[in-house]
Amino acid sequence: MRYFILFIALLTVSFSNAQDTGSIVGKLTDKEYNNEPLAFANVLIKGTTKGTTSDFDGLYGFESLAPGTYILQFSFVGYETQEIPTEVVVGKITQVNVIMGASAASLDEVVITTTTKRESETALLLEQKKAVEMKQSIGAQELSRKGIGDAAGAVSKISGVSKQEGSSNVYVRGLGDRYLNTTLNGLSLPSNDVNKKNIDLNLFASDVIENVSISKAYSSKYYADFSAGNVNISSKDYSGNGFFDFGIGTEINTNAIGKDFVKSEGTGHFGFYNRYEHDPFSVIISHGFDPVNGGTPINTSFGGAFGKSFNFKNGSKLSFYGTGSFENDFQYRKGSNIDYTNVEKKAFETSEEFEYGTTTTAMASIIYKVDNNNTFKINSLFVNNSSDKVGYFGIDGKGRNRDAIANTDEGFYQQNIQFNENLIYVNQLLGTHKFDKLDIDWGFGHNFVNAHEPDRKRLSFENYQFALDNDPNTNPIFYSNVDFDNQRYFQDIQDEELNGRLNLAFKPFETVKINIGYNGRSKERRFNNIRYGYDIIDNSGIANVNALNSFFTLDNLNLKDNQGTYEIKVIKPYPNLSNTNRPGQPENTYKGKLDIYAGYLNTEIGFGENWLVIPGIRVESFEQYIEYDVINLGVNGKDNISASDVLFLPSLSIKHSLKEDHNIRFSASQTISLPEFKEVAPFVYESVSQRIGGNPDLLGQKPGETYTNVKDVSYSKILNLDLKYEWFVTKSELISLGAFYKQIEDPVNQVVAFDATGTQRFFRTGDKAKIMGVEAEIRKNIITNEDDESQLSFGINATYMHTEQSLYSNIVGSNFNVSFVKDKEELQGASPLIINTDINYSPTNFNNYDPTATLVFSYFSDRIDALGSGQLGNVIEKGIPTLDFILRNKIGETFEINFAAKNLLNPTIKYIRETNQGNIIVTSPNGKDVSNYKKGMNIGLQLKYSF
Amino acid sequence: MKNNLFLVLAITALLFNSCASDDTADIYITDNSVVNNTTNNTNTGGNEEEEDIPINAAEYSSDLVLEANKTYTISGPVIMAEGATLVINEGVTIKAVATGADVYIAISQGAQIIANGTASKPIVMTSGDANPAAGQWGGLILLGKAPINSVTGNATSTSEIGSLPYGGTDNADSSGVLRYVRVEYSGGAADGSSENNGFSFYGVGAGTTVDYIQAYEGADDGIEFFGGTVNVNHAVVINCQDDSIDWTEGFTGSITNAYVKHGAEHDKGFECDGYNTDIGNLSNPKFWSKPTVKDVTIVGLGSGTGNEAVRLRAGTQGIFDNIAIEGFEEGFDLDGDVGANSDNPTGTGVINGDLDVTNVTFTDVTTKMKNDTGETFTEADFITGDGNGTGTDYAAWGAGWTVGN
Repeated sequence: MRYFILFIALLTVSFSNAQDTGSIVGKLTDKEYNNEPLAFANVLIKGTTKGTTSDFDGLYGFESLAPGTYILQFSFVGYETQEIPTEVVVGKITQVNVIMGASAASLDEVVITTTTKRESETALLLEQKKAVEMKQSIGAQELSRKGIGDAAGAVSKISGVSKQEGSSNVYVRGLGDRYLNTTLNGLSLPSNDVNKKNIDLNLFASDVIENVSISKAYSSKYYADFSAGNVNISSKDYSGNGFFDFGIGTEINTNAIGKDFVKSEGTGHFGFYNRYEHDPFSVIISHGFDPVNGGTPINTSFGGAFGKSFNFKNGSKLSFYGTGSFENDFQYRKGSNIDYTNVEKKAFETSEEFEYGTTTTAMASIIYKVDNNNTFKINSLFVNNSSDKVGYFGIDGKGRNRDAIANTDEGFYQQNIQFNENLIYVNQLLGTHKFDKLDIDWGFGHNFVNAHEPDRKRLSFENYQFALDNDPNTNPIFYSNVDFDNQRYFQDIQDEELNGRLNLAFKPFETVKINIGYNGRSKERRFNNIRYGYDIIDNSGIANVNALNSFFTLDNLNLKDNQGTYEIKVIKPYPNLSNTNRPGQPENTYKGKLDIYAGYLNTEIGFGENWLVIPGIRVESFEQYIEYDVINLGVNGKDNISASDVLFLPSLSIKHSLKEDHNIRFSASQTISLPEFKEVAPFVYESVSQRIGGNPDLLGQKPGETYTNVKDVSYSKILNLDLKYEWFVTKSELISLGAFYKQIEDPVNQVVAFDATGTQRFFRTGDKAKIMGVEAEIRKNIITNEDDESQLSFGINATYMHTEQSLYSNIVGSNFNVSFVKDKEELQGASPLIINTDINYSPTNFNNYDPTATLVFSYFSDRIDALGSGQLGNVIEKGIPTLDFILRNKIGETFEINFAAKNLLNPTIKYIRETNQGNIIVTSPNGKDVSNYKKGMNIGLQLKYSF
Repeated sequence: MKNNLFLVLAITALLFNSCASDDTADIYITDNSVVNNTTNNTNTGGNEEEEDIPINAAEYSSDLVLEANKTYTISGPVIMAEGATLVINEGVTIKAVATGADVYIAISQGAQIIANGTASKPIVMTSGDANPAAGQWGGLILLGKAPINSVTGNATSTSEIGSLPYGGTDNADSSGVLRYVRVEYSGGAADGSSENNGFSFYGVGAGTTVDYIQAYEGADDGIEFFGGTVNVNHAVVINCQDDSIDWTEGFTGSITNAYVKHGAEHDKGFECDGYNTDIGNLSNPKFWSKPTVKDVTIVGLGSGTGNEAVRLRAGTQGIFDNIAIEGFEEGFDLDGDVGANSDNPTGTGVINGDLDVTNVTFTDVTTKMKNDTGETFTEADFITGDGNGTGTDYAAWGAGWTVGN
């Protein structure tokens, strides 16, 4: 409601302009770059102090001008200055559109209505140059050139950023998911995964993205929970005469092709599932375990986009943009699944996993441009993302489990059949309003995420070697130590968030800009899960472990007197109902709430031509509350915990222009890191070989408990320092050097807790963590044509860093304890070295044919994937090089045929644990269910046609 | 406009959705079974019919006294807090609601249980179900302040069930008395991978008296020791589905006069770890599990059934004397790594005499010793007095108060 009133107020303000003067508006375009809009050019009214700069769309405007004749002066670094006489008439808008060029001026005044956005690399570089803050972006143009299909790939091409293979984890300067924020058009985005804070950037197909940027230095307009960076996706929109394009693509993966794919029963080809309305007990009674045929493993994609604008006589404009796409992806991994702590607990040296993924994206945006000063935008995004995995572990009959019953040396075998579907709805309303000395920029959004994990099936067998011996008299048997060794599991998470932002930029003088703003977000999560275990009564042997539907029939359910072959168990029965063969209540539930309200003030003060100083302060109040009801904590299982605080966070950034194209930037800020709901709620998630749970101590101490090395704090304080030098050699060339330092107090790590089951929990493991590093980036043209367009160019960025965190020798909390043998360690997820580089060749000497060939390489060095506690060694993710080749061919104006060959080096993806017995290959708690595997190369072809 | 958009998205979703199948049946349950037998009658000594007395699930900070020969019911965790004593007099029956793991009795560090049964009037903790079966409730958990090797100094660890602290530096700590106590049908799964045992001894000290106990028809281990120094005499484990007797985390007490008999579902007779392998041996000075095990009979299902009597792993030590093993494929199976400084120096224990068997008789046992420790030693280095073991005289001391043999 509050937002609604705000909205009405803004509307009222924006339509009340006086009418006794006239105005001049217009658009500047860049002759040197296909007549794209020219941003940040200076426009002066000669003989007055009035001046402005063109915006990202090349637009500029002067309002409330007394009638008369003026001379407008247009200038831009490296371009010829132009002077144009202009008449202003009362109540009228004079339009002056100018083409700016480096060479001799052509003074044609042309009204052009091309579409242009911040998607060209040059425009983004220009933005970076002019920007007040330290920010790096990658636009739609670069995305397509480098063959990047989604936002995750996009950010990993930015310096200091790397992506974990086999997961959605993105690390910025070694800081992972919990230290990042993701926004869409400046408004918070929800996560699609209970284990993550950030949404999987893979979900944003390139048709949705105008550009992706990472701000690695804090500015007071961001939420205080800012450590490594803020990823912002600007969604695409359109403002031209209308277009429609359609594309289809096909791709094969060299590992997946030719395999007989399997997937969960009941899931659709498009990644949907129809049984959410039913009680899980009905689902397990009605449907069997066995996976079904997963189709031919050839990836397909199709999608289209359209745009249309309507210009009205009063100067206003209504624009539509819509896009929809579907893509799927078959992956096959063959490797090992090994759980090794201080001994080998479970080892499947030969395992395979089939994964079928889909992403369906639809986005629509409507922009209503009232006039040059007032714009409204509605943006709706829907994403459905699914993953359908079937894993077979121990297929060689040589699997080992130290707690096996029949045979601890061979024959242990497990299956995991798992479907995850995430439905994401984002709706936003945004507006900008410009007045004489005041710009207003606001937005509010509603996010809803439904993340389902319906009917995950896990099966465990012993004596699997007998399935391979061709002797029908010997068969595998079920492993049924705990009732839940054979189980079906259901998990459901709903996240809902309302958020808003408002920024008033007031420019009292030419050299001073004051930003006053407000941010608010209110987020709520509901979580529940339930599982049913299968207690085997007749364990006399199973001939085919992939055909169990004939075993788990309703007739075989042991309803009385041991006449059946199995029973279904639930952990939390309904009162007065048995825990056997009956539906049950959710095992674990929790509800989390996070409310943040903040106001900020920062002032951009120019000193002379070359200095810009921006002091800022943010006041933020947060309240985090979690109530939970979880199993296996005795009387502590049902509880709640909350934390709140009001924070005052100062920030300072300084930009100094040494010469015209040289900048030095410095930034210092104080921020915080709040724990996630999943880190606090003491619910335990179990995957094939991992158990991960939360720890309420992260929100501080409770009265009446005794603690050792548990501080009564609910967040980490972070100090950020950044220094950067940039030289914009030409408009598409750059050299930059940077250094950074971060200090995180009371950092949180996920480590194995001392609770007799090897469950990983979150702890504030030490007093401080420090990160220091240097970054360098070069973008260089090697061959340019006579129009100064680059034909052969390359870019490279590299980050080298050193990280260190202190560790407590011993932590005793309210529920969980842990200790460390070492007193310091590197930071989890921090590769000392990260390199991204690319070479691009785009000859321009053909008439109707524009080819672009790009070779993209990236590398991160070995890093800690999981910190070892107690006597445990660390789990290390081995460094991985990636090499992709992309060839795009534009034929004429309407047709594109594109070829991509990705992962050409096909490196082995491997995790190891450091132990006294040497390095041992293990499965990552954060990666896929197999380790020591190759992804295979992806080779694909795409056709695109524009009408 | 937004509504229309939603409609379009909804229609799109429907189109896509139409490819996923449903046909899930609705289920109606007509349930005539009775779970909670709280109003059932019992005849425990007296002849008059009495109502069962409920004990509320809670953490008790003052004493609780259960009167002789009466029947009590529990329906959730009953936790005795530090300073409180649970007194259970002879002939008491405690019936647990058959809803699985979250029903158990726990004696916290600094609390005590005084359970004084007699051979003719034992104390019985069992399932309240009309058709009792293994795994219907949790079991009995004692937590003490005796040393464990998963921590350094006076730090504590937390229990698998209930997350209660245990461990310390007090060898002589007392958690009270267990005399003639039988735990039946316990071992409910607490989550996807933890189960309750019959008796769980977490860091229980030598000041505790444990004499004449039986675990019967448990879904998990019969008796499990997580460190501690407790001395257990006259222990019976019959038909427990996991390991009958299990130790880990530096258990250094003793087991004397033990009788173990496997049922159709079972794991090992003894499963013995030197330390908690998920965390490591963090004791300083370092010590390993090293109990004294004397006068023990272990009865399996026959040497053709692929089973193990005693599994010794993760660096455990132990002095076994007078053991009778009958009906197993393997008698003693040793696992470990090479070297005294390795993580799992089980073989080193044999070489140094810290893991040793004297006077043992194998009947219907195929392999007496299986050495997977990486160290080289002979059967004679590990076992002396083969053929001299007589086991325990269970028939004499087990008569009257035990069940199931």
